[in-house]
Amino acid sequence: MSDYIFLFDLDSTITKQEILPTISEKIGKQKEMRELTEATMNGIMPFKLSFLERVKILSDISVNEVNDLVSEIPLNTEIANFIRNNYERCYVVTGNLDVWISGLMKKLNMDNHFFCSKAIVENDKISKVVSVLDKNLTVQQFVQPFVAVGDGDNDADMALQAKIAIGYGGVRHIAPSLMQNIDYAFVNDKRCVDFLNSLL
Amino acid sequence: MDNKTIIISCAGMGTRLGAGVPKAIVDVAGKPIIIRQLECLDNYSDIRVVVGFQADKVIETVQKYRKDVMFCFNNDFRTTGTAASFSKGLINAKEYAVSLDGDLLVHPEDLKSFLAKDEELIGGCTPTTDNPVLMSLNEKNQVVEFSREHGELEWTGLAQIKTNRLVPADKHVYMMLEPLMPINVMKIRTKEIDTMNDYDNAVAWINNGYRD
Repeated sequence: MSDYIFLFDLDSTITKQEILPTISEKIGKQKEMRELTEATMNGIMPFKLSFLERVKILSDISVNEVNDLVSEIPLNTEIANFIRNNYERCYVVTGNLDVWISGLMKKLNMDNHFFCSKAIVENDKISKVVSVLDKNLTVQQFVQPFVAVGDGDNDADMALQAKIAIGYGGVRHIAPSLMQNIDYAFVNDKRCVDFLNSLL
Repeated sequence: MDNKTIIISCAGMGTRLGAGVPKAIVDVAGKPIIIRQLECLDNYSDIRVVVGFQADKVIETVQKYRKDVMFCFNNDFRTTGTAASFSKGLINAKEYAVSLDGDLLVHPEDLKSFLAKDEELIGGCTPTTDNPVLMSLNEKNQVVEFSREHGELEWTGLAQIKTNRLVPADKHVYMMLEPLMPINVMKIRTKEIDTMNDYDNAVAWINNGYRD
Protein backbone atom coordinates (compact mmCIF):
# COMPACT_ATOMS: atom_id res chain seq x y z
CA MET A 1 0.00 0.00 0.00
CA SER A 2 1.27 3.49 -0.86
CA ASP A 3 1.37 6.49 1.52
CA TYR A 4 -0.52 8.71 -0.88
CA ILE A 5 -3.26 11.03 0.28
CA PHE A 6 -5.73 12.00 -2.46
CA LEU A 7 -6.79 15.64 -2.85
CA PHE A 8 -9.74 16.52 -5.05
CA ASP A 9 -10.99 19.76 -6.45
CA LEU A 10 -14.79 19.87 -6.15
CA ASP A 11 -16.27 21.81 -9.04
CA SER A 12 -16.41 19.85 -12.32
CA THR A 13 -13.97 17.30 -10.91
CA ILE A 14 -16.27 15.59 -8.41
CA THR A 15 -19.42 17.27 -9.68
CA LYS A 16 -20.74 16.69 -13.17
CA GLN A 17 -21.93 20.28 -13.38
CA GLU A 18 -20.35 23.49 -12.22
CA ILE A 19 -21.88 24.42 -8.88
CA LEU A 20 -22.19 28.21 -8.91
CA PRO A 21 -23.43 28.47 -12.53
CA THR A 22 -26.02 25.77 -11.79
CA ILE A 23 -27.35 27.71 -8.81
CA SER A 24 -27.32 31.02 -10.66
CA GLU A 25 -29.43 29.43 -13.38
CA LYS A 26 -32.16 28.86 -10.80
CA ILE A 27 -32.38 32.59 -10.19
CA GLY A 28 -31.84 33.72 -13.79
CA LYS A 29 -28.35 35.14 -13.25
CA GLN A 30 -26.41 32.62 -15.30
CA LYS A 31 -24.98 35.19 -17.73
CA GLU A 32 -23.12 37.24 -15.09
CA MET A 33 -22.01 34.04 -13.40
CA ARG A 34 -20.81 32.43 -16.64
CA GLU A 35 -18.61 35.40 -17.51
CA LEU A 36 -16.95 35.42 -14.09
CA THR A 37 -16.53 31.64 -14.04
CA GLU A 38 -14.86 31.55 -17.45
CA ALA A 39 -12.48 34.37 -16.48
CA THR A 40 -11.56 32.51 -13.29
CA MET A 41 -11.10 29.09 -14.88
CA ASN A 42 -8.74 30.55 -17.42
CA GLY A 43 -6.83 32.47 -14.77
CA ILE A 44 -7.63 35.89 -16.25
CA MET A 45 -9.22 37.02 -13.00
CA PRO A 46 -7.69 36.17 -9.59
CA PHE A 47 -9.75 33.51 -7.86
CA LYS A 48 -10.27 35.51 -4.65
CA LEU A 49 -11.67 38.58 -6.39
CA SER A 50 -13.88 36.61 -8.73
CA PHE A 51 -15.16 34.40 -5.94
CA LEU A 52 -16.27 37.37 -3.85
CA GLU A 53 -18.06 38.77 -6.91
CA ARG A 54 -19.74 35.46 -7.55
CA VAL A 55 -20.92 35.17 -3.95
CA LYS A 56 -22.48 38.63 -4.29
CA ILE A 57 -24.51 37.44 -7.27
CA LEU A 58 -25.93 34.64 -5.14
CA SER A 59 -26.28 36.56 -1.87
CA ASP A 60 -30.04 36.99 -2.18
CA ILE A 61 -30.82 33.28 -2.08
CA SER A 62 -31.44 31.38 1.13
CA VAL A 63 -28.30 29.59 2.30
CA ASN A 64 -30.32 26.50 3.15
CA GLU A 65 -31.78 26.45 -0.32
CA VAL A 66 -28.32 26.68 -1.91
CA ASN A 67 -27.06 23.94 0.37
CA ASP A 68 -29.94 21.69 -0.74
CA LEU A 69 -29.34 22.49 -4.42
CA VAL A 70 -25.63 21.74 -4.09
CA SER A 71 -26.39 18.42 -2.38
CA GLU A 72 -28.46 17.40 -5.38
CA ILE A 73 -25.90 18.33 -8.05
CA PRO A 74 -25.09 15.27 -10.21
CA LEU A 75 -21.68 13.75 -9.47
CA ASN A 76 -19.10 11.89 -11.51
CA THR A 77 -20.19 8.58 -10.03
CA GLU A 78 -16.89 6.72 -10.22
CA ILE A 79 -14.90 9.55 -8.65
CA ALA A 80 -17.53 10.05 -5.93
CA ASN A 81 -17.46 6.31 -5.14
CA PHE A 82 -13.66 6.29 -4.99
CA ILE A 83 -13.86 9.08 -2.40
CA ARG A 84 -16.52 7.29 -0.35
CA ASN A 85 -14.65 3.98 -0.48
CA ASN A 86 -11.33 5.53 0.51
CA TYR A 87 -12.59 8.39 2.65
CA GLU A 88 -9.79 8.11 5.20
CA ARG A 89 -7.20 9.00 2.56
CA CYS A 90 -9.24 11.56 0.59
CA TYR A 91 -9.73 15.31 1.08
CA VAL A 92 -11.69 17.87 -0.89
CA VAL A 93 -9.89 21.16 -1.49
CA THR A 94 -12.30 23.77 -2.83
CA GLY A 95 -12.78 27.52 -2.94
CA ASN A 96 -16.49 27.04 -2.39
CA LEU A 97 -18.18 28.12 0.88
CA ASP A 98 -18.58 25.87 3.91
CA VAL A 99 -22.20 26.94 4.36
CA TRP A 100 -23.09 25.94 0.81
CA ILE A 101 -21.30 22.60 0.51
CA SER A 102 -21.71 20.99 3.94
CA GLY A 103 -24.61 18.81 2.75
CA LEU A 104 -22.69 17.57 -0.27
CA MET A 105 -19.62 16.86 1.86
CA LYS A 106 -21.74 14.74 4.17
CA LYS A 107 -23.06 12.83 1.18
CA LEU A 108 -19.47 12.09 0.12
CA ASN A 109 -18.41 10.97 3.64
CA MET A 110 -16.13 14.03 3.66
CA ASP A 111 -17.67 15.75 6.72
CA ASN A 112 -14.30 16.40 8.34
CA HIS A 113 -12.22 15.98 5.23
CA PHE A 114 -12.56 19.23 3.35
CA PHE A 115 -10.77 22.56 3.07
CA CYS A 116 -12.87 25.47 1.83
CA SER A 117 -13.76 29.16 2.07
CA LYS A 118 -15.84 30.34 5.07
CA ALA A 119 -18.79 32.64 5.55
CA ILE A 120 -21.02 34.01 8.31
CA VAL A 121 -24.77 33.53 7.89
CA GLU A 122 -27.47 35.79 9.34
CA ASN A 123 -31.16 35.08 8.83
CA ASP A 124 -30.35 32.37 6.32
CA LYS A 125 -28.39 34.83 4.10
CA ILE A 126 -24.66 35.28 3.75
CA SER A 127 -23.67 38.38 5.67
CA LYS A 128 -19.89 38.15 5.33
CA VAL A 129 -17.28 36.04 3.60
CA VAL A 130 -14.67 35.39 6.29
CA SER A 131 -11.95 33.73 4.22
CA VAL A 132 -11.31 32.61 0.66
CA LEU A 133 -9.32 29.43 0.38
CA ASP A 134 -5.88 29.58 -1.20
CA LYS A 135 -5.22 26.07 -2.51
CA ASN A 136 -1.51 26.68 -2.74
CA LEU A 137 -1.21 27.56 0.96
CA THR A 138 -3.55 24.76 1.94
CA VAL A 139 -1.62 21.97 0.26
CA GLN A 140 1.66 23.23 1.69
CA GLN A 141 0.39 22.03 5.07
CA PHE A 142 0.29 18.40 4.01
CA VAL A 143 3.00 16.21 5.48
CA GLN A 144 2.14 13.09 3.48
CA PRO A 145 2.85 12.84 -0.25
CA PHE A 146 -0.30 13.49 -2.20
CA VAL A 147 -2.01 12.87 -5.50
CA ALA A 148 -3.99 15.91 -6.73
CA VAL A 149 -6.96 15.81 -9.09
CA GLY A 150 -8.41 19.00 -10.58
CA ASP A 151 -9.37 20.89 -13.70
CA GLY A 152 -9.04 24.65 -13.17
CA ASP A 153 -6.42 27.36 -13.12
CA ASN A 154 -6.55 27.50 -9.31
CA ASP A 155 -5.54 23.81 -9.17
CA ALA A 156 -2.20 24.50 -10.89
CA ASP A 157 -0.23 25.22 -7.69
CA MET A 158 -1.74 22.18 -5.99
CA ALA A 159 -0.64 20.13 -9.02
CA LEU A 160 2.86 21.54 -8.89
CA GLN A 161 3.29 20.37 -5.30
CA ALA A 162 1.71 16.97 -5.84
CA LYS A 163 3.73 13.79 -6.16
CA ILE A 164 1.34 12.82 -8.94
CA ALA A 165 -0.85 15.50 -10.55
CA ILE A 166 -3.93 14.56 -12.53
CA GLY A 167 -6.11 16.73 -14.75
CA TYR A 168 -9.74 15.75 -15.13
CA GLY A 169 -11.28 16.98 -18.38
CA GLY A 170 -14.52 15.01 -18.37
CA VAL A 171 -16.73 18.02 -17.61
CA ARG A 172 -14.79 20.93 -19.06
CA HIS A 173 -11.46 21.43 -20.79
CA ILE A 174 -8.50 21.34 -18.43
CA ALA A 175 -7.18 24.90 -17.86
CA PRO A 176 -4.05 25.69 -19.91
CA SER A 177 -2.02 26.61 -16.81
CA LEU A 178 -2.90 23.29 -15.19
CA MET A 179 -1.83 21.40 -18.34
CA GLN A 180 1.71 22.70 -17.74
CA ASN A 181 1.85 21.07 -14.31
CA ILE A 182 0.14 17.70 -14.60
CA ASP A 183 1.52 14.22 -15.08
CA TYR A 184 -1.64 12.53 -16.35
CA ALA A 185 -5.08 13.49 -17.62
CA PHE A 186 -8.37 11.72 -18.17
CA VAL A 187 -11.66 12.61 -19.80
CA ASN A 188 -13.43 9.46 -18.62
CA ASP A 189 -14.07 9.12 -14.88
CA LYS A 190 -13.92 5.32 -14.81
CA ARG A 191 -10.50 5.34 -16.47
CA CYS A 192 -9.39 8.01 -14.01
CA VAL A 193 -10.54 5.90 -11.06
CA ASP A 194 -8.86 2.74 -12.43
CA PHE A 195 -5.62 4.70 -12.30
CA LEU A 196 -6.33 6.11 -8.81
CA ASN A 197 -7.00 2.55 -7.60
CA SER A 198 -3.60 1.48 -8.94
CA LEU A 199 -2.02 4.21 -6.75
CA LEU A 200 -3.65 3.12 -3.47
CA MET B 1 -5.24 -11.36 -24.37
CA ASP B 2 -5.61 -7.91 -22.84
CA ASN B 3 -2.16 -8.00 -21.24
CA LYS B 4 -0.70 -5.01 -23.05
CA THR B 5 -0.31 -1.32 -22.32
CA ILE B 6 -0.05 0.58 -25.57
CA ILE B 7 1.85 3.85 -25.28
CA ILE B 8 1.51 6.21 -28.23
CA SER B 9 4.05 9.05 -28.18
CA CYS B 10 2.71 12.35 -29.50
CA ALA B 11 4.64 14.80 -27.35
CA GLY B 12 7.10 16.12 -29.92
CA MET B 13 6.64 18.99 -32.30
CA GLY B 14 7.14 17.04 -35.54
CA THR B 15 6.53 20.20 -37.52
CA ARG B 16 8.74 19.46 -40.52
CA LEU B 17 5.55 19.13 -42.55
CA GLY B 18 4.86 22.76 -41.82
CA ALA B 19 1.36 22.03 -40.59
CA GLY B 20 2.06 23.71 -37.22
CA VAL B 21 0.48 20.87 -35.26
CA PRO B 22 1.85 17.55 -33.97
CA LYS B 23 2.18 15.18 -36.91
CA ALA B 24 -0.03 12.58 -35.21
CA ILE B 25 -3.09 14.78 -35.65
CA VAL B 26 -2.41 15.81 -39.24
CA ASP B 27 -5.17 14.63 -41.55
CA VAL B 28 -3.96 12.01 -44.02
CA ALA B 29 -6.54 10.85 -46.58
CA GLY B 30 -9.46 11.92 -44.41
CA LYS B 31 -8.29 10.99 -40.90
CA PRO B 32 -5.49 11.92 -38.52
CA ILE B 33 -2.68 9.36 -38.25
CA ILE B 34 -3.40 8.70 -34.56
CA ILE B 35 -7.04 7.88 -35.32
CA ARG B 36 -5.88 5.34 -37.92
CA GLN B 37 -3.77 3.77 -35.17
CA LEU B 38 -6.58 3.82 -32.59
CA GLU B 39 -8.88 2.06 -35.04
CA CYS B 40 -6.51 -0.94 -34.84
CA LEU B 41 -6.55 -0.88 -31.03
CA ASP B 42 -10.26 -1.29 -30.22
CA ASN B 43 -9.59 -4.63 -28.49
CA TYR B 44 -7.09 -3.16 -26.04
CA SER B 45 -8.27 -1.50 -22.84
CA ASP B 46 -5.08 0.21 -21.71
CA ILE B 47 -4.25 2.90 -24.26
CA ARG B 48 -2.01 5.75 -23.17
CA VAL B 49 -1.22 8.78 -25.30
CA VAL B 50 1.80 10.84 -24.31
CA VAL B 51 1.26 14.52 -25.00
CA GLY B 52 3.37 17.69 -24.72
CA PHE B 53 3.39 20.12 -27.64
CA GLN B 54 -0.19 21.35 -28.17
CA ALA B 55 -1.48 18.77 -25.70
CA ASP B 56 -4.99 20.22 -25.82
CA LYS B 57 -5.29 19.62 -29.57
CA VAL B 58 -4.08 16.03 -29.30
CA ILE B 59 -6.50 15.32 -26.42
CA GLU B 60 -9.37 16.84 -28.37
CA THR B 61 -8.62 14.72 -31.44
CA VAL B 62 -8.21 11.48 -29.50
CA GLN B 63 -11.32 11.88 -27.35
CA LYS B 64 -13.51 12.29 -30.41
CA TYR B 65 -12.70 8.67 -31.22
CA ARG B 66 -12.26 7.22 -27.75
CA LYS B 67 -12.64 8.61 -24.24
CA ASP B 68 -11.17 5.85 -22.06
CA VAL B 69 -7.60 6.87 -22.80
CA MET B 70 -4.98 7.82 -20.24
CA PHE B 71 -3.07 10.95 -21.29
CA CYS B 72 0.49 11.15 -19.99
CA PHE B 73 2.32 14.47 -20.01
CA ASN B 74 5.88 14.97 -21.15
CA ASN B 75 6.12 18.71 -20.60
CA ASP B 76 9.90 18.48 -21.19
CA PHE B 77 9.32 17.47 -24.82
CA ARG B 78 11.64 20.21 -26.10
CA THR B 79 14.68 18.76 -24.37
CA THR B 80 13.95 15.04 -24.18
CA GLY B 81 13.52 12.21 -26.68
CA THR B 82 10.89 9.55 -27.27
CA ALA B 83 12.32 7.45 -24.42
CA ALA B 84 11.17 10.11 -21.93
CA SER B 85 7.67 9.98 -23.38
CA PHE B 86 7.57 6.18 -23.41
CA SER B 87 8.91 6.08 -19.84
CA LYS B 88 6.22 8.52 -18.67
CA GLY B 89 3.60 6.06 -19.89
CA LEU B 90 5.11 3.06 -18.10
CA ILE B 91 3.62 3.69 -14.64
CA ASN B 92 1.71 0.59 -13.45
CA ALA B 93 1.71 -0.84 -17.00
CA LYS B 94 0.45 -4.32 -17.86
CA GLU B 95 2.68 -7.35 -18.61
CA TYR B 96 3.82 -5.97 -21.99
CA ALA B 97 4.46 -2.31 -22.82
CA VAL B 98 4.13 -1.36 -26.48
CA SER B 99 5.92 1.70 -27.82
CA LEU B 100 4.28 3.30 -30.84
CA ASP B 101 5.16 6.68 -32.36
CA GLY B 102 2.03 8.74 -32.96
CA ASP B 103 3.29 9.82 -36.36
CA LEU B 104 3.97 6.31 -37.69
CA LEU B 105 1.66 5.51 -40.55
CA VAL B 106 1.55 1.73 -40.49
CA HIS B 107 -0.40 -0.84 -42.49
CA PRO B 108 -3.39 -1.71 -40.23
CA GLU B 109 -3.00 -5.46 -40.83
CA ASP B 110 0.65 -5.32 -39.84
CA LEU B 111 -0.06 -3.41 -36.64
CA LYS B 112 -2.78 -5.86 -35.69
CA SER B 113 -0.65 -8.96 -36.37
CA PHE B 114 2.29 -7.40 -34.50
CA LEU B 115 0.12 -6.86 -31.43
CA ALA B 116 -1.41 -10.33 -31.70
CA LYS B 117 1.99 -11.85 -30.84
CA ASP B 118 2.53 -12.72 -27.21
CA GLU B 119 6.27 -12.22 -27.17
CA GLU B 120 8.86 -9.47 -27.12
CA LEU B 121 9.06 -8.02 -30.61
CA ILE B 122 10.47 -5.10 -32.58
CA GLY B 123 8.90 -3.67 -35.74
CA GLY B 124 11.29 -3.05 -38.65
CA CYS B 125 10.77 -1.77 -42.20
CA THR B 126 12.73 -1.51 -45.43
CA PRO B 127 15.13 1.45 -44.97
CA THR B 128 13.70 4.51 -46.71
CA THR B 129 14.32 7.67 -44.66
CA ASP B 130 17.32 10.00 -44.59
CA ASN B 131 19.64 9.16 -41.71
CA PRO B 132 17.70 6.11 -40.42
CA VAL B 133 18.48 4.09 -37.30
CA LEU B 134 19.23 0.64 -38.73
CA MET B 135 18.97 -2.79 -37.16
CA SER B 136 21.29 -5.74 -37.75
CA LEU B 137 19.79 -9.19 -37.47
CA ASN B 138 21.25 -12.59 -36.55
CA GLU B 139 20.45 -15.89 -38.27
CA LYS B 140 17.34 -16.32 -36.05
CA ASN B 141 15.87 -13.06 -37.35
CA GLN B 142 16.56 -11.26 -34.08
CA VAL B 143 17.80 -7.71 -33.65
CA VAL B 144 21.34 -7.74 -32.28
CA GLU B 145 22.47 -4.17 -32.96
CA PHE B 146 21.19 -0.66 -33.66
CA SER B 147 23.40 1.56 -35.79
CA ARG B 148 23.43 4.64 -38.02
CA GLU B 149 25.88 2.94 -40.42
CA HIS B 150 24.69 -0.55 -41.24
CA GLY B 151 21.79 -2.98 -40.87
CA GLU B 152 19.13 -4.73 -42.93
CA LEU B 153 16.02 -3.09 -41.50
CA GLU B 154 15.06 0.37 -40.32
CA TRP B 155 13.89 0.96 -36.73
CA THR B 156 10.26 2.17 -36.76
CA GLY B 157 9.76 3.02 -33.09
CA LEU B 158 7.40 0.05 -32.68
CA ALA B 159 8.38 -2.39 -29.93
CA GLN B 160 6.60 -4.72 -27.54
CA ILE B 161 8.63 -5.50 -24.43
CA LYS B 162 7.97 -7.05 -21.00
CA THR B 163 7.34 -4.09 -18.72
CA ASN B 164 9.48 -5.49 -15.91
CA ARG B 165 12.56 -5.54 -18.18
CA LEU B 166 12.37 -1.85 -19.08
CA VAL B 167 14.39 0.84 -17.34
CA PRO B 168 13.06 4.40 -17.78
CA ALA B 169 15.31 6.73 -19.79
CA ASP B 170 15.11 10.05 -21.62
CA LYS B 171 16.87 9.77 -24.98
CA HIS B 172 15.73 7.28 -27.66
CA VAL B 173 13.49 4.27 -27.16
CA TYR B 174 15.89 1.99 -29.09
CA MET B 175 18.56 2.77 -26.48
CA MET B 176 16.26 1.28 -23.83
CA LEU B 177 16.17 -1.92 -25.93
CA GLU B 178 19.92 -2.25 -26.47
CA PRO B 179 20.62 -4.01 -23.14
CA LEU B 180 17.72 -6.43 -23.79
CA MET B 181 18.86 -7.80 -27.18
CA PRO B 182 18.55 -10.14 -28.99
CA ILE B 183 14.84 -9.45 -29.63
CA ASN B 184 12.70 -10.98 -32.40
CA VAL B 185 11.79 -8.72 -35.29
CA MET B 186 8.70 -8.46 -37.50
CA LYS B 187 8.78 -6.66 -40.80
CA ILE B 188 5.98 -4.11 -41.10
CA ARG B 189 4.84 -1.85 -43.92
CA THR B 190 5.01 1.85 -43.03
CA LYS B 191 5.14 5.27 -44.61
CA GLU B 192 7.25 8.05 -43.17
CA ILE B 193 5.81 11.54 -43.68
CA ASP B 194 8.50 14.20 -43.49
CA THR B 195 7.93 16.23 -46.65
CA MET B 196 4.96 17.26 -48.78
CA ASN B 197 6.09 14.68 -51.32
CA ASP B 198 5.95 11.97 -48.60
CA TYR B 199 2.53 13.25 -47.67
CA ASP B 200 1.18 12.90 -51.21
CA ASN B 201 2.66 9.39 -51.43
CA ALA B 202 1.03 8.42 -48.12
CA VAL B 203 -2.37 9.67 -49.26
CA ALA B 204 -2.03 7.69 -52.52
CA TRP B 205 -0.92 4.59 -50.55
CA ILE B 206 -4.00 4.69 -48.31
CA ASN B 207 -6.40 5.47 -51.14
CA ASN B 208 -4.98 2.52 -53.06
CA GLY B 209 -5.82 0.11 -50.20
CA TYR B 210 -2.33 0.38 -48.62
CA ARG B 211 -0.62 -0.70 -51.85
CA ASP B 212 2.11 1.19 -53.70
